[in-house]
Amino acid sequence: MLATVDSCVLAGLEARRVEVQADSANGEPKFFLVGLAATSVKEARERVRSAIKNSGLAFPGKRLTVNLAPAEMRKTGTALDLAMAVAIALAETGGRVPERSAFLGELALDGAVRHVDGVLVAARCLKKLGYQRLFVPAADAEEAALVVGLDVIPCGNVAEVVAHLRGGEQIAPQPFTDAALESSPDVLENDLAEVHGQEEARRAIEVAAAGGHHLLLSGPPGSGKTMLARCLPGILPPLELAEAFDVAQVRSLLGDLLPGRPIDWSRPFRAPHHGISMAGLIGGGSGYASPGEISRANHGVLFLDELAEFQANVLQALRQPLETGRVTITRSGGSVTYPALFTLVAATNPCPCGWLGDPVRTCRCTPAVVDAYQRRLSGPLLDRIDLQVGVRRVPLSQLASEPRGEASGVVRERVLAARARQLARQGCLNAQLRPSRLRNLAALEPGSRLTLERWSERKGLTARGFHRAWRVARTAADLEASELIADRHVLEALGYRLHDVAA
Amino acid sequence: MTSPPDLSGLNARGRWPPPDGPRVAIVGSRRPSPYGEAVAEQLAAELARAGVIVVSGLALGCDAAAHRGALIGGGVTVAVMGTGVDIVYPAAHFRLAEEILAAGGALVSQFPNGTSPRRHNFPARNLTMAALSHAVVVVEAVQGSGALITAEAALDLHKEVMAVPGSIFSPLSVGTHALIRDGAGLVQNARDILAALGVGREVLDDPLKPPKRLGFELPGERDGILIHLSDVLTVSAAELARKLHLPISEVLGRLTSLELDGAVRRHGAGYVRALRRAKERA
Repeated sequence: MLATVDSCVLAGLEARRVEVQADSANGEPKFFLVGLAATSVKEARERVRSAIKNSGLAFPGKRLTVNLAPAEMRKTGTALDLAMAVAIALAETGGRVPERSAFLGELALDGAVRHVDGVLVAARCLKKLGYQRLFVPAADAEEAALVVGLDVIPCGNVAEVVAHLRGGEQIAPQPFTDAALESSPDVLENDLAEVHGQEEARRAIEVAAAGGHHLLLSGPPGSGKTMLARCLPGILPPLELAEAFDVAQVRSLLGDLLPGRPIDWSRPFRAPHHGISMAGLIGGGSGYASPGEISRANHGVLFLDELAEFQANVLQALRQPLETGRVTITRSGGSVTYPALFTLVAATNPCPCGWLGDPVRTCRCTPAVVDAYQRRLSGPLLDRIDLQVGVRRVPLSQLASEPRGEASGVVRERVLAARARQLARQGCLNAQLRPSRLRNLAALEPGSRLTLERWSERKGLTARGFHRAWRVARTAADLEASELIADRHVLEALGYRLHDVAA
Repeated sequence: MTSPPDLSGLNARGRWPPPDGPRVAIVGSRRPSPYGEAVAEQLAAELARAGVIVVSGLALGCDAAAHRGALIGGGVTVAVMGTGVDIVYPAAHFRLAEEILAAGGALVSQFPNGTSPRRHNFPARNLTMAALSHAVVVVEAVQGSGALITAEAALDLHKEVMAVPGSIFSPLSVGTHALIRDGAGLVQNARDILAALGVGREVLDDPLKPPKRLGFELPGERDGILIHLSDVLTVSAAELARKLHLPISEVLGRLTSLELDGAVRRHGAGYVRALRRAKERA
C-alpha cells in the first residue's frame, strides 16, 4: 500500500515542500530510501525503524520503499524523520493524513519526537504555501503557534501521532502564542548614567541610535569604549512585532530561541571575538549557508571590539551588508539571503600598543607600524561608518570628578522622538535613505550645502562619504525636531569624521 | 663614544660637497606635536633665507618638516640617510627627496648603496649628521630619542647644541628641556641660532621682553573656543563643552567650522590650534 505525508526542508529562511511517499510491496524485507537524501537523512532509516518498533507499531515485513519528492532536490537534516515514520505506519495499516497537514520532527529510538531547528521558519512558510495543520515536536509547539491561523499539533511520540491520525485518542492542539502578550524584562546591560565624562562619545551614541548610523570609537585601552557600546541597546526602542519575528526566525534557524519565550522584544546585541571566521561573521557552512553573527544582530547592534584585529577579508566582507542591510551567500546547496540590518559599533585602539595620542603615556609604536595598523581599517570600510569619534582615557584619579551625564531613559526619549519623525516622514531611518530620497527629504539650506561641499573638497570625500555626512546632519536636525537642516547640523555631522585627514 | 665618522667616504646623490656656508642640523621627534612640526618648518625656512644649509635625516615628523621648510625658504638642504642613498626611507618621502635634489641639495649616506633600513644604522647616521653640521637644533624630543643622540654626538664633537622649549606638560619637550637645563642654547627664533653661529648681524632679543613671534599668525580671537585651545596639547571637544557650558553638539559644530577656516586642527582624539605661517608657500 502507498501512503503520502508532507514535510519540508529549509533553505535559509525559505521552506521547500517535501512529499514523503512510503510504499510497502511483496518481496524480500528491505528498506530503501531514495530521493537525493544527504547522510543525515539516510541515517533516518535506522532511527525510523527502531522508533516504530519501540512504539509498539508494526514495521512492515515487506519490501519497503520511501521516496522523498521532488527527487532532484537535495535534502538534509533530521526534520523529515516524523513524516517518514508516519508514512510507513500508514502504508502498513492504511489510513489517511488530513488534508493540508505537514509533519516535522526528529525521532529518538524509543519513538519520542525531538526538537528540530527552524520550526518557526517552516511554520511561517508552510502557512504561506497553504498548509493548515502542522505536527511539530512538543518542544517546538509554542514557537510554531506564533503563526496566526495555523493549527499546531504538539507531538510527544510516534505512537501518539499515529493514534491521533487513526481516529484514536486526539492530541489537543497547541493554543496560539500571542506575541503581543509576551513581555521581556527590561534588563539594561549598561546605563549611560554610569559613564563619566565622554560627552562626545555619548552624543555620538545618541545620534547613532536616533538615525541607525554606524559608529566607530577610537581610543586607548581602558577609555570605556566597550562600556559605551554596551549602552547603545538601552537607548533603542524595543523591537516592533515584525522585527521581533525577524529576530525570532533567525534564532529559530540556529536553535537559539529561549524556551518558553520565543518572542524577545529586546534588541539583539552581538559581540563576536576578533578571531571569528568569515563563515561565523557573515554566514556560511555547507549545503545552504547558515546565518552568521551579522544576521543574528539583525535589528540590533553588532559590536566589533578591536576592529583592526579582525581578519582583513572578514572586514571586507562586511561592506555589502553594511550598505544593503542584507547578505546573500552562495554555497553548494544554492544561494540564500539573510537579513543583516544592524547598527555597527566598532572599537579600535589608535595604534597596536594603544597609547598613540594619550596625554600621559607614550606610544611605543613606530610610525610605520601605526600606519600599517590604521591602513587595516581600509578606506572602503571606514567610508561606510558615519560616526567616528575619538575616546579619551580619563585618569582613574579624575574619574570620580568627571561629570555624570543623563541616564539612558532620558536619552531614549529623544531617540524615540527622532525615530518617530523619520518613520513618519520617510518610512525608514535616515541611515537607510537612498541618495535620491535624501535630496527630496533632507533638503539642505544653501549655507549648509556650501559647508558640506567645502569640507568634501578640502578632505577629498567620496560621494558616499558626502551622502553619509548628509544623513548624519539629517539625524542631528531630527534630534532637534527641526525639518530644516541648518548649518549647525552639518557642522556637527562633520565633527564626527575623525578619519577625514587629508588637508 | 665612537670616533667621528669619516666624512670623505660618504656616498652622495645631488650636489656634494654642498655650497659654502654654515650648516645647521634641525632634528626632532618622528611624531611631533603640531607645534613641533610648525617650529621645525618655520626655523628651517628662516635659516634657509639667511643662507644656512639645513641638515636633517629625512625621517618622518620634524626631519621632513625641516627639509620642507628649507625648500620653502628657497635654500639648500642636505638629507643624511640611514640607508643607502638609492633607497628612500620612509618610501613616502620619495617626492621630498626628489625636491631636495631638484633644489640643489643632496642625499648623503655613510652606508653603501643598497643598504636597507636597519635599526642599528640610524644612531650611526645621527653621528654623521652632527659631524656634518656646525650646530644642532633639537625641536622636540621625548626622553631617549634619536634626536638626543645627535645632540650628544654634537657635544662630543664640540659643536653648538641648541633646543626649542615647549610646554612643561608635553612629553615631547622633556628631552629638549633637559638639554636646556644642561646648558644648550635656548631657541626662540632663527636669529638665536644665527647669533650662536656668529653670522647674525642683529642683536639678540632682550630676554626680559616677550620674544618676537616666529612668524606665525595667531588666529583671530573672534571665537571663544580658540582661547581654550593650545598649540601643543590636544583638548577634547568634551573638555571645551564643559569649560564653555555649551552643548557638545554645538562645540563639535563650531570646531568643525574653525577647522574649515584652517584655525583649528584635529590631532588624535582632540583638537589643537593650527599654526599658520604668516607667509604661505608660493
